[in-house]
Amino acid sequence: MEELIEKLKLQIIDALNLEGMTPDDIDNDAPLFGEGMGLDSIDALELIVVLDKNYGIKLKSPAEGQTVFKSINCIADYIQKNRTK
Amino acid sequence: MNGVVSISGMGILCAIGNNRQEVLDALMRKESGIGPMKYLSSVHTDIPVGEIKLSTAEMMQALGITSDTPVSRTSVMGALAVREALEQAGIRDVGGKRVALISGTTVGVMDVTERYYELQKTNPDLPYLPHSNECGRSTEEIARYAGLSDARCCTICTACSSALNAIMLGAEMLKNNEADLVIAGGSEPLSRYHLNGFNTLMILDRERCRPFDDTRAGLNLGEGAAFVVLEKDASHALAYVSGYANRCDAFHQTATSPNGEGAFLAMTEALLQAGIGPDEIDYINAHGTGTPDNDASESTAFQRVFGNGLPPMSSTKSYTGHTTSAAGSVETVICILAMQNGFVPASLGWSHPIPGGVIPTQGCSDVDLKYVMCNSFGFGGNDSSLILAKHAPVAGETKLADASRVALASRCVISNDEQLLQLKEYLSPMETRRMDKLMKACLLSAYTALKEAGIDRPDAIIAATSRGMFETSTLFLEDIIANHEEHLKPTLFMQSTHNTIASAIAIRTGCQGYNITYSQGDESAFWAIRDAKMLLRKGEARTVLVCIFDEEFPLEQAHRYQAESAIYTLQND
Repeated sequence: MEELIEKLKLQIIDALNLEGMTPDDIDNDAPLFGEGMGLDSIDALELIVVLDKNYGIKLKSPAEGQTVFKSINCIADYIQKNRTK
Repeated sequence: MNGVVSISGMGILCAIGNNRQEVLDALMRKESGIGPMKYLSSVHTDIPVGEIKLSTAEMMQALGITSDTPVSRTSVMGALAVREALEQAGIRDVGGKRVALISGTTVGVMDVTERYYELQKTNPDLPYLPHSNECGRSTEEIARYAGLSDARCCTICTACSSALNAIMLGAEMLKNNEADLVIAGGSEPLSRYHLNGFNTLMILDRERCRPFDDTRAGLNLGEGAAFVVLEKDASHALAYVSGYANRCDAFHQTATSPNGEGAFLAMTEALLQAGIGPDEIDYINAHGTGTPDNDASESTAFQRVFGNGLPPMSSTKSYTGHTTSAAGSVETVICILAMQNGFVPASLGWSHPIPGGVIPTQGCSDVDLKYVMCNSFGFGGNDSSLILAKHAPVAGETKLADASRVALASRCVISNDEQLLQLKEYLSPMETRRMDKLMKACLLSAYTALKEAGIDRPDAIIAATSRGMFETSTLFLEDIIANHEEHLKPTLFMQSTHNTIASAIAIRTGCQGYNITYSQGDESAFWAIRDAKMLLRKGEARTVLVCIFDEEFPLEQAHRYQAESAIYTLQND
């Protein structure tokens, strides 16, 4: 799980262009959207691409993403249960 | 000066017909033109589209064009629509007249670029192909193919509100006596580029779109070209331009504000200019794309403007698909057809009301439509509203301030990476994370010019560019080819439209006023500055920010860019 989280964080930093950030800067339990890291609807679309491209998970709509993208732990958990690659 | 602006001719091609009569017949029969793709080549064959039922070769043949180099679908669709409009207006010879052709497009000649991009990279000896992202080229080609070689061309790129803004500019030019005859509208073919772009935003419905329905799941892209002939005091008017406004939501690049502020401001201002109350509007052709976001926000704006007295309202995108940059003129022509034939087009596909939302009409006939409102909203919250009148309105009189009173308050040019470091004075790394260099340069030049002029928020924002977001567009195109239309980055697409800069400045400064982007090669800046001066002289703005930008982006060489922002103001007498 730890390995997956580390890899996922790097993929997110790359996809969202979070310049200067390292995996350690992102709290595994902190909310990614709104008051937390302050990500927005375009970031959510980028995260959907990350899941599809790297883990073969196809989310149907940004609304579906809202429940999955609550925190890093939440995404990692979802990946473990649903990954097809 | 002034006088009443009339519409004396119109031409249209879209998914439900290749001319006015065919479009009218389909509207009357309540027949949609949305279906599986036939002419567009894409791996996403599960996405329904609203195609014009003609190949590009067939359109070339209809125009009598033979060409050794590829011809853009944008240009031939546009030329056919312009030709039909001129014929209806009874205009054969424009000799001696000051003629302007104003077209809205964002695809431009991208349809040709995307087909030959790879081929041209490996065969540099191929005849010149327009890999340039220059939208203005398609307007020049429309003029040539439609027999208007001497017309002044102007291209407006404000994404999905482009064509409505083109009609507004045409009306302004006639009122200001800058032209004798204006042909205004828009032309937008389907392209693999923007089909994939909209797909990354996850707003394309796999079923036929259902505007204002509670189960709506997105839009269907369509293609279309429509133009109207605008003349002052024409003796044979089909309809009159009564009021219009362009305002900015200034909320988000791709999302609409929950209270529909930009749409509310545009509709309110258009009514004010027309000198009528909301209760006098007999039909509204809504923007109504069918996306959850747009329809909710437009619903709220309608309730704010019309209260409980919403007139019959429908979205004809359920027939044509969303013809993006051409939507404003496609729907203007539909509004005039409705007015002439005394009917209201039905909103197809609607059956479930949005709780607390507005309800679109299922159509009615034998109605007298005296005033009709047409809405077009674009990326970045570029919201425009046009009011058409059946009978000639009373001519308004606008006093222009003397041109010598327009003054340049400040100017700032940004063109290198070292300068870009100053942007951190204004924006955090989190805020700039998605911006390319050109976007950063534009914002920095805007912030600096505003600071120098001692202004926080301009009243209006006007942008000018020949090639638009050339780097980002090229990267998205490369992405489409390299990844076979899968796993594409939404960030690249949403930052690739020409009006992304003017919208970003509006969002950052909170400017909800007039917002437009011109793209006409070397003349882009001319159109922008002309517009800034007119806004100031008419008293519609006290401060205008003009941002002129362009970049060269050869993939393997140095990337050159330049952004220049200037603040214009009106000095006291």
